[in-house]
Amino acid sequence: MASEEDGAVKEPLDLIRLSLDERIYVKLRADRELRGKLHAYDQHLNMILGEVEEVVTTTEIDDETYEEIVKTTKRQVPYLFVRGDGVILVSPPLRSA
Amino acid sequence: MSWAAPDSFHTTSLADNLDKKLLVILRDGRKLVGTLRSFDQFANLVLEKAVERIIVGDLYCDLPLGLYIIRGENVVLVGELDQTKKDLPAHMVLVSAAEIKRAQKAEKDATELKGTMRKRMEFLDLD
Amino acid sequence: MLFFSYFKELVGKEVTVELKNDLAITGVLHSVDQYLNIKLENIKVVDEIKYPHMMSVKNCFIRGSVVRYVQLPVDGVDVEILHDATRREARGN
Repeated sequence: MASEEDGAVKEPLDLIRLSLDERIYVKLRADRELRGKLHAYDQHLNMILGEVEEVVTTTEIDDETYEEIVKTTKRQVPYLFVRGDGVILVSPPLRSA
Repeated sequence: MSWAAPDSFHTTSLADNLDKKLLVILRDGRKLVGTLRSFDQFANLVLEKAVERIIVGDLYCDLPLGLYIIRGENVVLVGELDQTKKDLPAHMVLVSAAEIKRAQKAEKDATELKGTMRKRMEFLDLD
Repeated sequence: MLFFSYFKELVGKEVTVELKNDLAITGVLHSVDQYLNIKLENIKVVDEIKYPHMMSVKNCFIRGSVVRYVQLPVDGVDVEILHDATRREARGN
């Protein structure tokens, strides 16, 4: 079966299989982004990532000027399980980078 | 049946929590306290003598609700309340239902004001 | 079943579960089921000040569907085993 061969890409999740042990970018709901090494995933896009950097984008309203303040908060997590239902997109590593 | 297996089997069953006083957090942020009388595999719950625990800043109040059957998908967390400890920090003040509702409304109004002021500023920025 | 099996191996270890409502709870993993519902023991809420109602909660059940992340212990991850299990699972679908 072609789909069992490592290089065959027949469906979207095959592309994710090719990213195993590579750093990927994951965009999540609630203005969250992750970059980390993909160690495991399943058909729901549940994942385990390693050496993770999470970026959270929040907008607050200034008490005085009522202006929107856009903030990004970064943090590092050694290993993270990510529940698939929050995933918006997964992008493989940039070859040029 | 498997859901009634004893705790030593390491199941996620809520059987150990039956007839205990529990805190249930719902998806809309509400906090209910009551005695668990029944549950199923979806985490549908039956809470007896349920109250809604409303907390605004350092004020709190338990509003009586009666018998509640909660649909599982709205359940975030079920916590065992340690009966040997106080439920809430000592500095928190129990107030009447009327007072907590006033405090809740004041909090909501302040948030809304921020939103409307922001919209007005946006409008002015357009020139 | 990959993650169900994985979390079963993690029972007894300390994890931090972060929920979609931003509540983060550290505790010892007591049990997990096929929906990835989780029971934690000896819990500590990360931002205790913000969640005073959690003060006297020692053990809790978390519905799998409300979990955003689980921070895993470093000694609870064997990447080789995970890669193999993931490839096996991918073939199975």
